[in-house]
Amino acid sequence: MRIASLRVLVALAVIALITIGFVTNIGIGTLSSFGWSDISILCPLGALTTMLGAKILVPRALIALVIVVILIVLVGRAFCSWVCPVPLLQKLRAVFRKDSKLTTPDEESTVGTGDTDTTATCRSAASLKTQSTAPPRVAGKAEKASLCHSNGDASNCSSCAQKRGTLDPRHFVLGGSLLSAALFGFPVFCLICPIGLSFAAILLVVRLFSEGDLTWSIVIVLLLLTVEVLIFRKWCSQICPLSAFMSLLAKVNRTFRPAINKATCLETAKGIDCGLCAKACPEDIDPRHPKRSYAPMSECTKCLECAKACPTKALRLPFLPGSRANGAGSDDSGGLGGSGGPNTSEQERAA
Amino acid sequence: MGESERPGITRRSAVVGAGAAAVVLGLGGFRFLPTEPTLRPPGGQATDQVVSACIRCEKCYEICPREVIVPSHIEAGILNMRTPTLDFSGDYCDWCGEANNGDPLCDKVCPTLALRLPEGASAKNTIIGVAELYTTWCLAYKLIGCRFCYDACPYEAMELDGNNRPYVLNDRCNGCGACESVCVSLQSGSIAEGADERAIIVRPLRQDGSVLYRWKPS
Ligand code: SF4
Ligand code: SF4
Ligand code: SF4
Ligand code: SF4
Ligand code: SF4
Repeated sequence: MRIASLRVLVALAVIALITIGFVTNIGIGTLSSFGWSDISILCPLGALTTMLGAKILVPRALIALVIVVILIVLVGRAFCSWVCPVPLLQKLRAVFRKDSKLTTPDEESTVGTGDTDTTATCRSAASLKTQSTAPPRVAGKAEKASLCHSNGDASNCSSCAQKRGTLDPRHFVLGGSLLSAALFGFPVFCLICPIGLSFAAILLVVRLFSEGDLTWSIVIVLLLLTVEVLIFRKWCSQICPLSAFMSLLAKVNRTFRPAINKATCLETAKGIDCGLCAKACPEDIDPRHPKRSYAPMSECTKCLECAKACPTKALRLPFLPGSRANGAGSDDSGGLGGSGGPNTSEQERAA
Repeated sequence: MGESERPGITRRSAVVGAGAAAVVLGLGGFRFLPTEPTLRPPGGQATDQVVSACIRCEKCYEICPREVIVPSHIEAGILNMRTPTLDFSGDYCDWCGEANNGDPLCDKVCPTLALRLPEGASAKNTIIGVAELYTTWCLAYKLIGCRFCYDACPYEAMELDGNNRPYVLNDRCNGCGACESVCVSLQSGSIAEGADERAIIVRPLRQDGSVLYRWKPS
């Protein structure tokens, strides 16, 4: 099964479970407080803002917060690719776009002209491994293309130095949400959280059909969701405060990180500029070269696309870094920098 | 090209971020819009408590064994939207007497203490709201001889007058909604004309403790 379909299935299963909760009295809750009866894991942002808003310490919220922090340290942003309903809804956007793009020229060709030899190297690597393991996704962003090239001139390299900042708008939204809750005395972000709204939409539709409960809320909820998910294309990487919270904590995540076996990786074993793992990553991480990756490793959602894309299966996401089977991790601390690995040689070439 | 070259924050990010944060802060301004007093499950009566703490997790709606907790609608105010309110059209709140020995399950599952009864509070000493009977639409006041609500009241908060017409004893009423849940006034065409609600309805308390009337009682 394709890993992407597996992720969709898991997220759908979560939605199904929660919908079952709506029509029974078990008290499963939604992702805002997921659990069984009075045991729930709270959304960390909800836990923080409710305490800031109501100005009381809630023991259950504190316990949930600790559990969530531990989970994030263990699995980073895995929630984003495996559980959250928002990426599922964003898939609808692709459906709409496919229809409307039929007449316009293919995006891929425009990228190709921008950085021809880069894409060429990437393509050659792809074709080298016969079946085109290269995912069919469009390399729409310039950064993405620049990830692939390694022997460009200095000007090209300055473009590949364009990296995602340590802080970005998400962190402002996170700060704004906390401040707003404290100032105005209620969990403000909950009003517009697309995760909460997704489940509100399901509940309202269930109620509409089971109880004939007709309300403007349905329209408002669907409208907000449409704006956030379908129109704001970069909700997840630029706005979502949960994503900000998780990526901040994920900086200390060491488990389930992409690790590369140097003995089989095409780049180290055969000296080929492969870069397929970087190309596959939806978060614009270069697992092969974390140091010059556009996005830091803390953005990794453990989606497994990179592992899937690796033509020689050299890339895995082991529980612990540097586990013996892998030879060498691709970690920033790994052997790449020191022992004349590809990173060093590139740096020399670039200099 | 080491890790050190990762920029702290780009200018564009800072501008977009400041704008987005301002929007979230601005949303807080909804706090100043007037909100209607709303009927809440047991433990949600304290002023503003639900609005301040509720994360709209929908857990209380689910757990209610009698399914009387429903999401407030936008019509009840932006801040109230998706917070819990009570709908007695099908059943009433027995403080989970049947399902959990009188210990409200909604309070038990609420993870944020948005629903939280004070120490020692019970159905005997706490009220959810107060029932109001509208004589214009009550069948009994048309001398049709209906007394469903009177028979349903578990708190002995209703009495019958000389003409066998029920009325509410405000100081005994718990606001449980049993009367509302059995009221048949809307089903009798001619009398219900112009009515959009049943003839007996539980109303929330105002913040000063008085009942919120939609019409002045005669
Ligand atoms: S970034 Fe936010 S909205 Fe997007 S998948 Fe992650 S938690 Fe969900
Ligand atoms: S590094 Fe690999 S697992 Fe992590 S987000 Fe990118 S493709 Fe997914
Ligand atoms: S006390 Fe029990 S019956 Fe009453 S609203 Fe709460 S969960 Fe429902
Ligand atoms: S369980 Fe509590 S936090 Fe959740 S919707 Fe009900 S009142 Fe709000
Ligand atoms: S009058 Fe109605 S709401 Fe009041 S206690 Fe009796 S049945 Fe419940």
